[in-house]
Amino acid sequence: MTFFLQNLVNALQWGSFYALIALGYAMVYSILMLFNFAHGDIFMVGAYIGFGMATLLVALAEMGAVSPPGWLILVLTIIISMFLTSFLGMLVERVGYRPLREAPRASAAITGLMIGIILETGNLMLLGAQRVRFPRLIQSTTYDLGGVFVTNKKIMIVLVSISLMVALHQFVKRSKWGMAMRAMAFDYAVVPLMGVSINKVARLTFAIGSALAAAAGILFGVAYPVLDPYMGIVFGWKAFVAAILGGRGSIMGAALAGFLLGFIEIFTAMIFPSTLRDLIAYSIILLILVFRPHGFFGEDYSARLRL
Amino acid sequence: MPLLQVKNMTHYFGGLRAVHRYNLEIEPGQIRALIGPNGAGKTTVFNLITGIHHPSEGSVILEGENIVGLRPHQIASRGLGRTFQNLRLWRHMSVLEHVKMARYSRLTYGLTGAFFGTPKRNREEEALEVTALELLEMVGAGGIAHQNVLQLPYGAQRRVEMARALATEPKVLFLDEPTAGMNPEELLQMMEIIRLIHKKMGVAIFLIEHRLKVVMELCHSIQTLVFGEVIAEGNPLEIQNNPKVIDAYLGQDMVE
Amino acid sequence: MTSKTNNIWRTRLKRFTAPIPLLGWLLGALGAVILEHVAGDPFSELLGLPKIPVLFGALVMLKKPLLIPSVFFYVLVIYGMPLALVSRWCAKPANWASAHMLHFSKPFSVLIHLALLYAVLHAWSDLSAYRLLTLKFTLIAVMLTLSLNVINGYMGEFSCSHPGFMALGAYVASTFSLSLFVNDRLFGEALLPAGLGPFLFPVGLILGGLVAALGALLVAIPSFRTRGDYLAIISLAFMFIVKSLFENLEIVGGPRGMGSQPNWANLPTVFVWTVLCVWIINNFVQSTMGKALNAVRDDETAADAMTVNTRKTKMVGFLFAAFWAGVAGGLFAHVLRYINPGTFGIQRLAEMLAMVYFGGLNSVYGSIMGAVSLSLLSEALRPLEILKWIIIPLLLILVMIFRPTGLIAFREFNVGNLIKPKKTTRIED
Repeated sequence: MTFFLQNLVNALQWGSFYALIALGYAMVYSILMLFNFAHGDIFMVGAYIGFGMATLLVALAEMGAVSPPGWLILVLTIIISMFLTSFLGMLVERVGYRPLREAPRASAAITGLMIGIILETGNLMLLGAQRVRFPRLIQSTTYDLGGVFVTNKKIMIVLVSISLMVALHQFVKRSKWGMAMRAMAFDYAVVPLMGVSINKVARLTFAIGSALAAAAGILFGVAYPVLDPYMGIVFGWKAFVAAILGGRGSIMGAALAGFLLGFIEIFTAMIFPSTLRDLIAYSIILLILVFRPHGFFGEDYSARLRL
Repeated sequence: MPLLQVKNMTHYFGGLRAVHRYNLEIEPGQIRALIGPNGAGKTTVFNLITGIHHPSEGSVILEGENIVGLRPHQIASRGLGRTFQNLRLWRHMSVLEHVKMARYSRLTYGLTGAFFGTPKRNREEEALEVTALELLEMVGAGGIAHQNVLQLPYGAQRRVEMARALATEPKVLFLDEPTAGMNPEELLQMMEIIRLIHKKMGVAIFLIEHRLKVVMELCHSIQTLVFGEVIAEGNPLEIQNNPKVIDAYLGQDMVE
Repeated sequence: MTSKTNNIWRTRLKRFTAPIPLLGWLLGALGAVILEHVAGDPFSELLGLPKIPVLFGALVMLKKPLLIPSVFFYVLVIYGMPLALVSRWCAKPANWASAHMLHFSKPFSVLIHLALLYAVLHAWSDLSAYRLLTLKFTLIAVMLTLSLNVINGYMGEFSCSHPGFMALGAYVASTFSLSLFVNDRLFGEALLPAGLGPFLFPVGLILGGLVAALGALLVAIPSFRTRGDYLAIISLAFMFIVKSLFENLEIVGGPRGMGSQPNWANLPTVFVWTVLCVWIINNFVQSTMGKALNAVRDDETAADAMTVNTRKTKMVGFLFAAFWAGVAGGLFAHVLRYINPGTFGIQRLAEMLAMVYFGGLNSVYGSIMGAVSLSLLSEALRPLEILKWIIIPLLLILVMIFRPTGLIAFREFNVGNLIKPKKTTRIED
């Protein structure tokens, strides 16, 4: 039983990353009806920006001979990085996707792939092929809850993720722009007729999605301090699958699907040898999609990557 | 025995009853019409008979065979051709390709012919082209055979869709609002085409129409559909003077 | 240049090239490669080049920019001059020959043209092992791009499963070769005499193609009910599953992969399979049965109503495309002579998609052009190392913005038009 709970905690943490990244995918997919294949790499860039920020802040603190608490630096890192990465997202939208607003969606998908490659290459060029190490900001302490060992890091990651998701949910539900986003997800063409600029909504969607991905990247860096330029590929594609699994039109569905994917992966590793993890996870997903092609919460828009 | 018989067809979309105990009989060579206010379920009836949906209840019998449950292309091969209310053309294909495509089920050269360009396939494709051109000539669209359909004016597109439907060698031709969006001149031309088809190919025709002029002049008998039920059936004169029909259209915009 | 002088040169160029039939161009190319064989070495030495430029000078230009004038001259004299002069001089006899061959028998004419093309390629690649390898990979890329175009272009789906089909073909063909004809670590003793190998190689390739086609069922059957986006995910999942499957299959080497495939994929073999692939796929997409793919793409409901069996059409489309991807995979395995699961992942997918969308959807010309140009470009830009992976994606993004369906999309590949003689009216100069 404790074994199960232990893995549950791990799954929550692992799933948080997928969920946060999946949210970005799902938002762009629901609102702008396109796949942003560069999103995984935006997650990677966000992690690296976080790494840069954290290192910078630590260095500044040392120079200034102050020693702020680790969590403060972490919070600052997260906020600043989310902010900076959102600009990257908006840039990607402006340069890669806006010119293709009227083009077939497959072309936008290819563009996204290419932008992703450029981001990866850019990273390799700037930082070389070496992996970088995320600075240790938080001392790891482990709590023993009746046989289940939980680190403070894990708790923090899950809490931060869930808070961000709740914040997003509230934003989409209550704010004016959130309403605009929901309207556009429902009927793309009508929104500009109501005086709302598609460009603004698109920019905002990308900004928020990218910020969330950055948060995921930094949290990932806290949990697994070694970053590499291709980390976006592994996570990105799985989160992408999770987003679709959650169903079109459902942002929260994507988050849930992200957690589900985390659970599937962790519990598969629990039972089967770890090399089979991907195989089983994807097979399960394939089965789900075959029997429930519109995802869990999606509706049958019969959306199509049209020529 | 009638060519096409629909018996007590009822259909639900979820909880909504779209069609209720619909009956139809079409004899060979007949021209019948289905009229009714918007939203009455006329296109749904078409879709049910041609196999796009499977009716919740009832049977559809074509030349003695119950075709309920068959897939649309199987029903089409058995002799039910149709056009669509909102022109469903293939954006990237030429006029000629549209008409040739409709003869898909008559191809016998199979995958071997398709992959290896056998003499049999070449012969069949040539024959296909000849037939397609003849059909296009018949509807007055012979000169535009190699143009892409999207570049054509609306009237020409309608003719292409007509020729395409005819290429399936239908025994019964279902026309869904063939004159929608046409000006008076195009309207007369389309009516001429319908008459020509009827005379030359001897095909039975079942059309959905809003324009009374077309219906009155072309059809042997008319059904009026309101909220999924047939409220009146008879020859043009009877329908025109039927109080229930007039009542159904009260407040509706009836063109001509 | 002013626009007027620009136009004058263009018209002059057109007049010069207009009377040259394909046969003439092939003869010109043959002249060029023969010249290179005869005079290539001494000439490049004369120009101060370290050796004969392997890829039309692109690599030399990037590595040693000072040699650019020399490279330019080399290309002009060895390739440009023979191509232009021989083609033009042969124009009249070539037209005569084209006309008579066509009159005699179209298949005969096609075979002669192919033989000439092969001669050119063989002679060109003979001078350098690097050229040979690049050529083989380019031909395989043509097969992959064209087969992917069948699904993404002609059928209008967005399929990410192609690396998976390629992997299935590669592994099956490799297993066939290694287990039956070679003594190796994985499969032990050879079961049949090694001499039989090259003759049964096609069997292995076809087997690989068939297994790939079988795998395609996993993508084709869901395509009956789901469309577009969801099918994309299913195909993506398929690709990951196949990759993961091979990673876990120790019997075929697991993550370390399989190597030492016998060297049976020589140029004639790869060439013949590529030609077959192009010919068969082109036949298919030009037939009414093949055009059904387009009809299902553009409006499935209408296709259904027009007697098109949409399920069979989708099934054929997927399985047919997967077959050729499998064959290409088998060839690939025997050219590279090493495969591992990593070869068939996201990067491969990105490359294939790039070639299809760059070249042009729904177009045989487009796929050939896209595969050849991106393959050569990828090789040519090698000296730039990592910068290559910024230039090529940028190029593709530009193409997507300005021509979203690719450079040569929706164009018919009419063999008859290609090989027919051109008019040789004497235009006053």
